[in-house]
Amino acid sequence: MSEERADYLATASGNPPDRERLDLIRGILGHEATWSEPPPEVADHLFAAIATAPTVVTQTPQRRRWPLAAAAILGVAAVAILVAGMLGVFSNPNEQLVAIEGTELEPGASGRAWIREADAGWWVRIDLEALPAAAEGTYYEGWFWNDDGEGVSIGTFHLRGGDEEVILWSGVDPADYPAVWVTLEDEDGDPSASDRVVMWGRPDES
Amino acid sequence: MDREILDRFRDGDESAVKTVYERFRGPVFAISLSVLHDHGLAADATQQTFIKAWQAATTYDPDRELAPWIYAIARRTAIDLYRKHSRSVASEDVDSTSLPPALDTIWEIFEVRAALDRLPEEERQVMKLSHFAGLTHVEIAEHMGIPVGTVKSRSHRAHQRLLDMLRHVGET
Repeated sequence: MSEERADYLATASGNPPDRERLDLIRGILGHEATWSEPPPEVADHLFAAIATAPTVVTQTPQRRRWPLAAAAILGVAAVAILVAGMLGVFSNPNEQLVAIEGTELEPGASGRAWIREADAGWWVRIDLEALPAAAEGTYYEGWFWNDDGEGVSIGTFHLRGGDEEVILWSGVDPADYPAVWVTLEDEDGDPSASDRVVMWGRPDES
Repeated sequence: MDREILDRFRDGDESAVKTVYERFRGPVFAISLSVLHDHGLAADATQQTFIKAWQAATTYDPDRELAPWIYAIARRTAIDLYRKHSRSVASEDVDSTSLPPALDTIWEIFEVRAALDRLPEEERQVMKLSHFAGLTHVEIAEHMGIPVGTVKSRSHRAHQRLLDMLRHVGET
């Protein structure tokens, strides 16, 4: 028996549970993960996000009116509207977490939108999965939508950089516009929403 | 952790968030790396964990321990990222050795790393050289420029401290 092993076992003083516990601890002490440190950039990015989150404004909200006929067509179409509801561990009265799912245009896509009230409006962070990057000449646009067929843009993004975390911004109360939409838009200067709704969700359904 | 810091963390105080990050960055990164087996992904998971913790800080009850609350967020975040990453690689590239560890193992790793961070630095260094680098006491003494007897006493104290701090680990 090596002197290290003898010394190690002496710590447990012959107590079987302590020896077993030390063996378990020793196993964990042998792994690289146990001793690793996160790179300094993690702290830099974290505190930059905290410092800038309440004041970021990505787009001035513009009111759009969705044509009623188009809305009816969309409603009849085979839109894969999946049930969304409150998710996650957290229950912050100032924060909503909305699940958003892909429509028949992007059935494999999914995501979550965190909506947090701030001094200048509502800060929206969307984490996306399996939504492909918008092709050149197109972009995605986020919307808050109400049951009257009115939508307000909360910002645009393209995902061509590989990052699936998107920060958007709303000047209207999401309580008045409870649905979250993501549409695919052409770079044609038309500010109205296209009929290509790729993702959808609302917090008040379960 | 000091109650005043916990209260300020709940209130979103930036300096308190920094204190919490410094205290738990090691354990969070350790379990993230154990689940994801990739330093870049583990860094992403660590960053997301603390952003989520900051966003949810108003839901934290300072009368309860912070470590389990942080741990729950970290574990969920790492596993979510693991599932997301697994879907984006070919199934034949995912072998059994890259599967995440069991939930109780993840927790044990978190607790052991948290305990290591509370050891005096000289004892922590002996533990690392002994258990991770695999050096003998003589080799550790040469590496650290201290007598072998000092290595032995630091090793003994470190093991005892870890045992005392981790008596709850491994219980069923």
